[in-house]
Amino acid sequence: MPVSNALFIRRLRYHPAVRLRAAWLSVILLTAPLHAQTPAPLRWGGDAEGGAPFVEADPSDPARVAGFDVEIAELIASRLGRPAKFIQVAFQSLDQSAIRGDFDIGLSGIEDIPARRQSLAASVPYYEFREVLTVREADRERYRSLASLQGRKVATLGGTLAYDLLLAAERSHGITAVSYDEDVHPYSDLAMGRVDGVVLDHVLAERAMRRNAGLVTHPDALAVGHYIVITAPENTALREQVDATLRNAMRDGALERIFRKWNVWNDDQPRLFERVLGIAGVQGDSGAAATLDTPRAVRRYLPSLFRAALITLALSCLAMALAVVLGSLIAIGRVYGGPATRSMLMVYVEVMRGTPVLLQLFVIYYGLASVIRLPAFVAALVGLGLNYAAYESEIYRSALQAVPRGQMDAARILGFSNLQTLRLVRAPQAFRLALAPMTNDFVALLKDSSLVSVITVVELTKQTQIFATNIGSWLVPGLLCAAIYLMMSLPLGYLARRLEERWRMPGQ
Amino acid sequence: MTPTLSIRSLSFTRGTRSILQCVNLEARAGEIVALMGLSGSGKTTILRIIAGLDTPDAGEVTAAKAGMVFQSHYLFEHLSAIDNVTLAPIHVHRVAAGTARERAQALLDQLGVGHRAGALPRELSGGEAQRVAIARALAVDPPLLLLDEPTASLDPARKNDLGDALRALAATGRALVMTSHDDEFVRTHATRVVVLANGAVVEEGDPRQVLDHPQHPATRELLEGWWAGWGSNPRPPD
Repeated sequence: MPVSNALFIRRLRYHPAVRLRAAWLSVILLTAPLHAQTPAPLRWGGDAEGGAPFVEADPSDPARVAGFDVEIAELIASRLGRPAKFIQVAFQSLDQSAIRGDFDIGLSGIEDIPARRQSLAASVPYYEFREVLTVREADRERYRSLASLQGRKVATLGGTLAYDLLLAAERSHGITAVSYDEDVHPYSDLAMGRVDGVVLDHVLAERAMRRNAGLVTHPDALAVGHYIVITAPENTALREQVDATLRNAMRDGALERIFRKWNVWNDDQPRLFERVLGIAGVQGDSGAAATLDTPRAVRRYLPSLFRAALITLALSCLAMALAVVLGSLIAIGRVYGGPATRSMLMVYVEVMRGTPVLLQLFVIYYGLASVIRLPAFVAALVGLGLNYAAYESEIYRSALQAVPRGQMDAARILGFSNLQTLRLVRAPQAFRLALAPMTNDFVALLKDSSLVSVITVVELTKQTQIFATNIGSWLVPGLLCAAIYLMMSLPLGYLARRLEERWRMPGQ
Repeated sequence: MTPTLSIRSLSFTRGTRSILQCVNLEARAGEIVALMGLSGSGKTTILRIIAGLDTPDAGEVTAAKAGMVFQSHYLFEHLSAIDNVTLAPIHVHRVAAGTARERAQALLDQLGVGHRAGALPRELSGGEAQRVAIARALAVDPPLLLLDEPTASLDPARKNDLGDALRALAATGRALVMTSHDDEFVRTHATRVVVLANGAVVEEGDPRQVLDHPQHPATRELLEGWWAGWGSNPRPPD
């Protein structure tokens, strides 16, 4: 089940190969009249970050993609008599991109869930997977089922059937569900002991077992699900064509050959094919909750949105506190320190400002995991705090330097030591100058805190995303989420304006 | 009696520019010494060196603890008038906050700005700010008080009040050194005048004597320039 993580997607989006493809597309468009007889390419959307065996960048030519979903897409295209054209879309955005019409068909380990069938035109299932539980070798006997994991953390990919399964188990078995944006780190964190179990598709579990030593997967299926092809809801004609093509490929063995080639063929598949070819519209024992109508969904999700908002607020306040303390020390070091101190601090500031905070979060949470294993919330707090400290320090430095020299002269004549002058005269005045930009930064931090979902902290934006995936629409969750962010940031702006008014410095 | 302030052969250079050359100056308790001279003659630099803000290249400065009132006051902008006055007694001299406050209020009352004790510096007029600055300098009871252009922010009516206040301070045994462009003020209130030109003392003595019968061309230029510019520029630039 291919998946997104924004860092990679950004890199990919600007990858020369992608631009090359864009250039190629414009060449095709410009020369289209000359090739009027050439059929339009079948644009198919998938996420290359999902990796093998679904869709991965071809190791021998990263500009190309390979995987069983790639071959199925190409099979469908060729049987429709159209050239296949790959469109890179982040896994979590595939549904929305299909609705927008970014591509004709989407397949990338996309699960058959009721919400998806409701908002999109979905094909017959083409592959059956089992949701399986993976644990550490040492815990093989201890943790055999979700029930035995009571009070423990169990990881999976957000917005999936497995995540719904874990949310249900939170209520019934008292486990804690941990949501990831991709499928690599749930397993590495399991091996490391950050979580005690992972529930995901058996295809992913098998891949993970090859990558991580010391893990074991229980063979029993916690649930059964299917992969499907999606198209825009109004594009039912194309869906019919895809269904017919898939059925033919099941009959003539083309699908089996693809699955065998990628080592994902098993006894479940012939049975699925039989059912698909026998009766149209097979429903698996998906175990997914029935789709809720919007008002009920809002009522059900509102408490979790507020809880997530509290995480956002707590994280932002604590990270800001860290940034203020550290930023002040850096600023003082840069104003009062010797040349060595000053240049060291300058390097820190430039590195933290010059690299993406997302990268810094990854390094702190995953990169340093072999040295220090920080809990996700602490890693998020430290990551945001260290990053914002760099920005704060620049604000404080210029504010300190903006306090008139004469103020310090006056203090010196009165007999204050350097430290007293800083504490009683310079810093209080600088703080008043720094207040407005600081408030700006805090509001920015409030919003930047949504980035920490990449290291499994479920804050407001992530919870909204889960909500939206569940009901198959961004409209209501998006509006609710925006309203909650505003409820947090507007009072802050008001408070800052009041303080600024009260502490207005001459010339301001 | 040893002088409160004694300067011998003082020289000061800023960059490549010579600001002061071999200046001698003394001030005793009870004296009000006025430094006069054209802009750039080095008056303010002498005050800064006495206060310890600038370090001379050569010469000897023996000065009692000095308080200073800057031309633009430099009141601490984030503190009320009375907090400006109590800050140094509380944090430098470890006076109890209550006691420091009482003394500060008394000082402000004495200088006629007691009713403005709670105001922030930006809410004060030029004259009020100056008197708060004087109170702040006096709060730590320095034997030597330095004032840079104290008449610059005052209207003529207020100048006499200031002069009376300065004389009262001198009468309590302090030495006062001020810079001024205002020869009328100096004539009336100073006990001695020192005229500077190009960083050197060119003339000094009793204010009436020196200003009514200037001996040195620089002193004459100072007074003529002053009068010549009176109509268009009543307050010469520093």
